[in-house]
Amino acid sequence: MTDPIDPFAEDGTPPKTGTPSTRRRVLALGAIGASAVVSIRPALAQTAGSVLNCQIPVPDPSRAGGFVAADGSIVASGTKGAFAPPPRPFTGEEVKRALAGSPLPGTTFESNQAYVKYIRRLQRGQGGFTCFASIQTPRV
Amino acid sequence: MIDVVRFRAPPAAALIAAPLDGLTAIYHRPSGTTHLLAEPAPQILAALADRGLSLHELTAALADAYDLDGSGDALAERLDELVEAGLVEAGLVERA
Repeated sequence: MTDPIDPFAEDGTPPKTGTPSTRRRVLALGAIGASAVVSIRPALAQTAGSVLNCQIPVPDPSRAGGFVAADGSIVASGTKGAFAPPPRPFTGEEVKRALAGSPLPGTTFESNQAYVKYIRRLQRGQGGFTCFASIQTPRV
Repeated sequence: MIDVVRFRAPPAAALIAAPLDGLTAIYHRPSGTTHLLAEPAPQILAALADRGLSLHELTAALADAYDLDGSGDALAERLDELVEAGLVEAGLVERA
């Protein structure tokens, strides 16, 4: 569990992290093209649209052009046994279906497995992470 | 005269925040919209609470509190996202 964030600290000081006060916290600003906000509107239809139409680029823009290895890691373009990136980002809806067992569009069995492994390994600050996280957030 | 865009977050009373592991859920009372925020969006909101800052001033305020990892362009993008989501208001201010 990461440290809770208090976004409303009135004095603008960083949140308490439990680490010594002499060590400043690193604030990751994220990659160009990444997304840090997903909005969930009140109406159910809008909720679905907002979350499921978000996009997950493979790989994320900071590593654009890299190939995806079978284990989901990003390797140099042209690496033998790795897969070329898909021609467009996948939508939240496509990834949601893929997590349920349907292949991502335009993929083979092997490339689908590699792309899904890459997406499962997304971390904060990487393009598509917020979209992926929101897909996994249970909605009422 | 120089036009400066200043950014401001809604008053704290307009928002409800809840940490969700690595993310922060923000409920915006006026719009009834819930937003799922990843770093650095919550920290940007905190920096813009109760005061309007230009992008330059925001960068300085965040750099004052944190070691920043990323480019100014990335911060500008995050700010644009918050404006688009309705969580930050952008206003043009004239100054001499």
